[in-house]
Amino acid sequence: MSVLAVMRLELRRLFVRPLAWALAAFTLAELGWRFVLLLGNFLDVQIRLAALPGGPGYTDLVSVPLLSSLLTGGFLPFGLTELAIFAVPLLAMSTLAAERGNGTLPLLFGSGLSAASIVLGKYLALMTWLLLWLALTLAMPLALAHATHFDWGKLAAAVLGMLLLLAMLGSIGIACSAFTPHPALAAVAGIMLVLALCSIQLGAQSVGIDNGVINWLALPTHLEPLLRGLVSTADIVWFVLLTALALALAVRRLDADKERG
Amino acid sequence: MTPSTPVSPATVLRLDRLSRRRAGRPAVRNLSLALQSGQVLGLLGVNGAGKSTTLSMIAGALRPDSGSIQLNGEDFLEHPGLARQRIGWLPERAPLWAELTVSEHLDAHGRLRGLHGPALRLARNAIIERLDLQPLARRLAGVLSQGQRQRLGLACALLHRPALLVLDEPANALDPVQTAALRTLIREQATTGTAVILSTHLLTEVTAVCDRVAILHEGTLRHDGPAHADDHAALERCFFGIAMNNSPAQAA
Repeated sequence: MSVLAVMRLELRRLFVRPLAWALAAFTLAELGWRFVLLLGNFLDVQIRLAALPGGPGYTDLVSVPLLSSLLTGGFLPFGLTELAIFAVPLLAMSTLAAERGNGTLPLLFGSGLSAASIVLGKYLALMTWLLLWLALTLAMPLALAHATHFDWGKLAAAVLGMLLLLAMLGSIGIACSAFTPHPALAAVAGIMLVLALCSIQLGAQSVGIDNGVINWLALPTHLEPLLRGLVSTADIVWFVLLTALALALAVRRLDADKERG
Repeated sequence: MTPSTPVSPATVLRLDRLSRRRAGRPAVRNLSLALQSGQVLGLLGVNGAGKSTTLSMIAGALRPDSGSIQLNGEDFLEHPGLARQRIGWLPERAPLWAELTVSEHLDAHGRLRGLHGPALRLARNAIIERLDLQPLARRLAGVLSQGQRQRLGLACALLHRPALLVLDEPANALDPVQTAALRTLIREQATTGTAVILSTHLLTEVTAVCDRVAILHEGTLRHDGPAHADDHAALERCFFGIAMNNSPAQAA
């Protein structure tokens, strides 16, 4: 129950902050624009693709590319993945940093809450917001579900990938927020960390190193297969491990706060 | 007071050899005291004497380095969840969530303390009425004056009817009328059996509302005795004697 009380408090704070609404408005408008462009491109080539046996369809060319630019590249606006890399740390930056800055963190400790309950409550609140965000994004391609043929399996794998990605980004954002009293610093640290995870293999590859460990550490290595419809336990474990590690670090830091005062 | 002293049923709080270091120096040293239900204890001391550290440990926001805290005979350090329902805490400067309204604050605090549904609504409405917060109920905490913040902080501390009320400088920024109302409220709480610890710089506050006074100096308890409303001068002599380090220690 205490986790739910923290979650409710955090949700309330999240929904009255202008930043959360501004981010939602900006990112959804941007994703809407991307959706229209993707749909336009698809309509242009639809007739030719229909003649190809096993050729890409609406799911491959509109629904999944809306979620990420990893498979499409090019000059289209950002997909949900690219926006999330910046938006999630911005959303998460105040969760614990602002509590520490305002002096309200001791109030939560004084309510008999453990560090784990506080972190988990805040994480669940953030995830609620992110799930709504994902649902609104998915509503765009799904709005045409009645008029087109969906590859539901491929879409489900891509959505699973996005869920795992958002869960990991949220936990990294909260961990960064736990380590500083300055929300802006938490946001910058979160973005830098995630960008490093996204590009760690590129630097190594550019100097000729292309070994398994470096590639294993990189985010695209694990997200790309899911976006292509390939679900593997190894990729899921990678996301779960990173999420758990970041949350454990946040809990540990809060425990140290209570210890140090 | 020794650790072997049996805990009477009316003992709400018992501190036993509580110690805590902060910023590399001992902030509280071997502090032992007990508080009965319905008793109001004034905690006096100069800045840096260890009052806020002591209150933070009692409220469960800070872990002691050594010693024990018992709430109604139960070990508080082993069961930190006891703070949830039994302790109401108003920290110094009443920290608040600026983006929540007064009413939302009370709801959030109530839920954190385990209140839900009709019980929460009843408790919220009662405390809003008692502390005259109706005109502020829909106002954001971030725009409240310091005095209003103190009142809201006090309302949050009282909302769940705690057995122990811990108040850190509650009269800060209150006008004389609000200060008088605060004194009435503290006495009212004591009458209903709530034990109150009141940390303050104001000696008049102590003689006006407290049954007992404890003086902390450099982290140690230097005086623990009854507070007499009619002997303000004696308390003043005792306090300044300890604060200026020209009086022998008088541990209770």
